[in-house]
Amino acid sequence: MTEKPDLLKQAVKIASECDRCGNCTTVCPLFAEKDIESSSARGKNNLALGLAAGVVKPTQQLLNAANFCLLCRTCVENCPTKVETDEAMIALRQHLTDQLGGVTLKYKGLGLLMKSSALVKLSSIAMAVMRGTGINRLVPRGLVPDEYTRRRFLASFAGPAALGAPASPSPASIAADSRIAYFNGCGMQMMFPDAAASSRKLIEKTAPGKLQRISNKCCGLVHLAHGMRSDFIELTKDNMRLYENTDIIVTDCASCSSMLKHTARYFADDPQWKDKAIAFSSKIMDITEYLVKAGYKSERKSDVRLTFHEPCHLGRGQGLRKEPRELLKTAGEYVEMKGADACCGGSGSFHLDYPEISDRLLDKKRDNIEKSGAAIVVTECPACLAQMQKAASESKGRFVAMHISQVL
Amino acid sequence: MISEIIKQQLSAIVGPDNLLDSEIDRFGYSYDSSFVPFSEQNKPDLIVRPADTAQVSAVMKLACEHGIPVTARGTASGRTGGSIPICGGIALSLVRMDKIIEFDERNMMVTVGPGIRTMDLYNYCAEKGLFYPPDPASWKYSTIGGNIAENAGGMRAVKYGVTSNYVMGLEVVLADGSVIRTGGKAIKNVTGYNLTQLFVGSEGTLGIVTEILLKLIPMPKARNTMQLMFPDMEKACSTVHAMLQAGIVPAAAEIMDQTSFQAVARHRKLDIDPAIEACIILEIDGDSEGELQSQSARITETAQRFNALEVRTAASQAESEDIWAIRRGLSSAVGGMAPNRFGEDISVPRDAFPEMVRRIRTISEKYGFTIAVYGHAGDGNLHPSLLCDMANPEHAAKVHHAIEEIFDAALAVGGTLSGEHGIGITKRPYTEKALGIAGINTHKAIKQALDPKGILNPGKIWEQDVKGGC
Repeated sequence: MTEKPDLLKQAVKIASECDRCGNCTTVCPLFAEKDIESSSARGKNNLALGLAAGVVKPTQQLLNAANFCLLCRTCVENCPTKVETDEAMIALRQHLTDQLGGVTLKYKGLGLLMKSSALVKLSSIAMAVMRGTGINRLVPRGLVPDEYTRRRFLASFAGPAALGAPASPSPASIAADSRIAYFNGCGMQMMFPDAAASSRKLIEKTAPGKLQRISNKCCGLVHLAHGMRSDFIELTKDNMRLYENTDIIVTDCASCSSMLKHTARYFADDPQWKDKAIAFSSKIMDITEYLVKAGYKSERKSDVRLTFHEPCHLGRGQGLRKEPRELLKTAGEYVEMKGADACCGGSGSFHLDYPEISDRLLDKKRDNIEKSGAAIVVTECPACLAQMQKAASESKGRFVAMHISQVL
Repeated sequence: MISEIIKQQLSAIVGPDNLLDSEIDRFGYSYDSSFVPFSEQNKPDLIVRPADTAQVSAVMKLACEHGIPVTARGTASGRTGGSIPICGGIALSLVRMDKIIEFDERNMMVTVGPGIRTMDLYNYCAEKGLFYPPDPASWKYSTIGGNIAENAGGMRAVKYGVTSNYVMGLEVVLADGSVIRTGGKAIKNVTGYNLTQLFVGSEGTLGIVTEILLKLIPMPKARNTMQLMFPDMEKACSTVHAMLQAGIVPAAAEIMDQTSFQAVARHRKLDIDPAIEACIILEIDGDSEGELQSQSARITETAQRFNALEVRTAASQAESEDIWAIRRGLSSAVGGMAPNRFGEDISVPRDAFPEMVRRIRTISEKYGFTIAVYGHAGDGNLHPSLLCDMANPEHAAKVHHAIEEIFDAALAVGGTLSGEHGIGITKRPYTEKALGIAGINTHKAIKQALDPKGILNPGKIWEQDVKGGC
């Protein structure tokens, strides 16, 4: 086990770069809904600094303030000094979780579920059964999606849309003898198995007969973001071992690909794992970047109007903005909607913690999708996809939501 | 401390959602964009967010009755601690009062609430072909109310003046809750004292501005950006002076030293020739593209006379924005270079600019601090940013001496402490030097007349003997 890092110190190191100017208050989607200082990135960074200075106390209230963040990186992108508030909040959450005596039951349950591959598989079956029987209506809002693919449902299991400095596009290139494997994210596996199957098929098409079959562990994002860092470390080590003999790891979940690309950052001080983590991170490719690199084009272009909801972890998280749009242009009539990169309010379990604010963000998104005139809104992250499907159901059939693999 | 009864009364005025008193919120409203250290003492007891003048008036009545300090604030982007409630009491957040109340196209005037952001106002007017010129670097997030309180300047001051040049009238809630209106739409107006200009720049110490009447001018039809690079500051300044004397008045003339633009370059991944020691960014405007071309040709000729190393005229809107992004990102990029930054705002006669920069260099060497210098070459307002680490006792011991020497130098060359940021609390120790004892007494007399209980933003502008030391 790596020596426990001083997470408050880490948060402070990031937050002290904040110049307190207030630029973030003009772009933060949460500040737009609730315009008090602690909603903004400036407010959050200064809470970390205030805690270190002893002017703010380590309370549950403070942890709640740190949790009131989509980790969407809109502030980072617009910050003159690029303060990584999302990273600072993840560190602060962990620090406070440790200080306050452990993870709350809700996150613990979520973390436990996603830590076990068997449970993830089971829950995907259980969810299907529950949907069939209607028993899901008895379960608290948001814990079980209503329906599998088309209609309203919420996803609590997708892991927070979170994480890190923008990872650069993958340095890996695809060679004839590249060993390729798919990374099946928990959200995709539990909620969107159809889409996951489409992704697998797409990858197979570009590399016939070469796809390795590896049963991976969770990427650990939900654990990292909610104060279960040691679980994250353990899961990541497992994944590094599992993919040791793979050259390119493709995933169809933007949150997973962003998380996995950031692995190296969390092992930088661990001499035993440092190099392995760097090697592992450099193997990761998001499916959109993989398909573009492999020269894939949709086999038939239809005249259906498509628009793209850009997951935070894809655009701001990995700088992959051109790739999905380029691919979609080969599949249909692509239209860009207004605010395509604005957070949809899914953000892992944020929509469970703050349903009203999440709904307001989604309403804006729905409005923009409707105005674009698209028949299908496409995205590439199960948390976003769940939100898009909810929006689709609220728009009463004006559009449907699909994973990018399903339209390509 | 504010009693529960008073809290309930305040809650009845603004509604419970607009009254914040949790520990997290009290902390959130205890700082601004200056680097005044956090402290328990700076936390307000309450944050009150009124929606209109009537609510502000009711809040002030109550505060006056009970002697509760009230510190108005917008988005807290100030650099001198002006909106920090150092005596506790009420932090009066005016951000909900962000409406455009009237747009009077024929008189070319606009009436707004104090909470509107400067850039939003600019954009609103620009869409209608009118121009609100003051553009403090913080205009994306600063509010007009804050701009009035500090008499904010900006980059266009060289040609278009500062905030006060556009304020025609105000609605102000006084310390006792009564409401007055000053000025008006008449261009010529000498009825009574010029109270409008008294409130502009008064940093919230004389009244709460609740409505602002601003004049606008026609939007220039053509605009462009130029970037000039020089081997030293002297030649850069000389170029600007020669331009102004020849009647080429740029809409903005921003200058920055090497330390400053390298800080931005670091964030924007730019490569800048190390031989360049000074950079000037110009905005030029006029009635036609032809006029701009002739201006730009004359500027190029002048710059070359002073050994400019590079002269670049933006070929597109995108390039213009790219160049300006360097200047706009400057303050924050420099601030991010060290744990602490003391960003000053001295203002000197235009021709003393190079002399002032020389004196700052000497101070920088004497104390061993990096001091990045940038500012408005066209109007003599410069922003030396002293970079240090206050956790280092050696730095902490001498930083204030260095700053005092900067102020002394500014006064010595005929300048003043602040061009556009205001005094707040960070420059209080130096006001007496700048204004003299009689000057300070005049201020005190005005304060006493308008705010006899001393509840409006107490403890600001000059050192005082208020109870509790705040």
